[in-house]
Amino acid sequence: MIRLEDIVQKYTMGHSELTVLKEVNLHIPAGQFVAVTGPSGSGKSTMMNILGCLDRPFSGDYWLDGDLVSTLDDPSLAGIRNQKLGFVFQSFNLLAKNTALDNVALPLLYAGVADGKQRAEYALERVGLGDRMCHRPSQMSGGQRQRVAIARAIVMQPPVLFADEPTGNLDTRTGDEIMEIFDDLHHSGTTIILVTHEPEIAERAQRVLFLRDGIIERDTFTQKALAA
Amino acid sequence: MRTWMLIKIAFQSLRANKMRSLLTMLGIIIGVAAVIAMVSVGDGAKAQVSKRIHSLGSNLLIVRPGTRRSRFVRSGSVTTLSDKDADAIKRMIPDIRYISPEVSKSMQLKYFNRNASTNVLGATSTYPAVNNFQLDQGRFFDINDVHANRKVVVLGATVVKALFPGQNPLGEDVKIGGINFQVIGTLKAKGQSGYRDPDDQVVIPLHIAQRRLFGIRYLRSITIQVAAASKMDAVQWDVTRLLRKRHRIQPGAQPDFNIRNQKEILETMSAVTGTFTMLLASIAAISMLVGGIGIMNIMLVSVTERTREIGVRKAVGATYKDILLQFLVESVVLSVLGGLIGVILGMSASWLISKMGSWQTVLSLQAIGLSFLFAILVGVFFGIYPARRAAMLNPIEALRYE
Repeated sequence: MIRLEDIVQKYTMGHSELTVLKEVNLHIPAGQFVAVTGPSGSGKSTMMNILGCLDRPFSGDYWLDGDLVSTLDDPSLAGIRNQKLGFVFQSFNLLAKNTALDNVALPLLYAGVADGKQRAEYALERVGLGDRMCHRPSQMSGGQRQRVAIARAIVMQPPVLFADEPTGNLDTRTGDEIMEIFDDLHHSGTTIILVTHEPEIAERAQRVLFLRDGIIERDTFTQKALAA
Repeated sequence: MRTWMLIKIAFQSLRANKMRSLLTMLGIIIGVAAVIAMVSVGDGAKAQVSKRIHSLGSNLLIVRPGTRRSRFVRSGSVTTLSDKDADAIKRMIPDIRYISPEVSKSMQLKYFNRNASTNVLGATSTYPAVNNFQLDQGRFFDINDVHANRKVVVLGATVVKALFPGQNPLGEDVKIGGINFQVIGTLKAKGQSGYRDPDDQVVIPLHIAQRRLFGIRYLRSITIQVAAASKMDAVQWDVTRLLRKRHRIQPGAQPDFNIRNQKEILETMSAVTGTFTMLLASIAAISMLVGGIGIMNIMLVSVTERTREIGVRKAVGATYKDILLQFLVESVVLSVLGGLIGVILGMSASWLISKMGSWQTVLSLQAIGLSFLFAILVGVFFGIYPARRAAMLNPIEALRYE
């Protein structure tokens, strides 16, 4: 499903050049639940941006679902993000003035889908918010907002879902509920890549990547995966 | 499909910020409304002026004695125009329908214990026809009255009101300069035109006015009504030539008379009012430009404010073009809505001005169409820069923006 080959990412800051990713190689098969951890500045955000097709690597190849996406132009990348990838952010990133339903329907608008409303409703029901469709984000709790964000991420039924610290702004109990939704999505076959710095959250994945200084320092399967 | 979606998104975000949208539109609204109202006022003035000039009579040439110049000194009295000039013009120049020699002087009128200071006009029987006056009561004096030197007078409407309130003036005698004149008719009111009241006058036979009242032999003016508008220039040319010859003006010398052509006056006046309209419209257009800058300003603020939103949209699959068009559509929708409201407001304002200010207004379709079009152009022009700014945002940085 996902294959990174010798991915290098560099940024120039003023006159100095900063290498953030140093020849990262990675293969994630379809349907795997992967957690990415590491200290700040380790390059995990950079890797996520490349994986999420928000950024192009300096060098190296990125294969996603059979396509070499590291060479695609901006409109094609936008199409990939729309069709194949879903994003869940730490700070939800919902449109404050739109209802839950409109927020969820956003990717459908850009896909030019005709029966958008039904699909958005279905996605909201799937995250347990069937009764909150016409609420605005300000009328919802943090957990509910994150559910709306997840519904938006899955409304196009993408094969890959990215989550950047999805429980970072939530209390433990609400975080657990959110993680249950991810578990659920994982069981239905979605590939999930989740950035977190909490070991308990990482343990819920099948595989944990630990990044440090731009390389994958450890790549281990969790107890849960080994037990299964 | 996608365009429709973009319009939907634009409306969604405008509806989400109702107050701001309205305030943004305000510049355009005021601009469009001002252009329409101002042009309607200007065009109204133009129509009024030409109507008033036409009410003086049509196809008129007015010959007046000019200031005679000897070297650099202007001589004060202008006594060069005579009855004989008028007779000669009438006899020798074709295509003249009527000719009306006139003298006038401001004098005191008396009727028993009532007084009125008014303009006493000496004229011939052609006066009402040439000057577009209608009789209200009685009759105007005819050639017989003039030749018989009858002391008769026809009163203007203002004078009737002053001397004969609620009373029939016909047959009464009024005193002008110590001489009794019998009222044989009254003129219908023309209404105030500019600073002069054409109804504040009385008309008496020319020769009586010249000899008995004013003690003069010359004329104040000769008004010529030309048979057709197309002959105006030819008649003016003939009259000029004839009078130059009669007054023995050397070739190349300044004549001692001047001829005013009604057509020229009309043209001058409409040029003046046209300039007036352009001036008003251009001031209003500037306010539209300011409105456009307002739109750009708000759209730029809106782009900054919605950086995260743009990041989210890009993350879920919006392309450069999608974002560009979304913001462009937003500013165009703002200006089109503003333009529409402006058109309605401008038309109501023009209607209100005509109702309240007794000022005639004429709605110009051209002004409505042009200002509306200009509003849309302003929206596109001032929308492009903010829209480009939005579309060029990097999604990663946009998502991280606080």
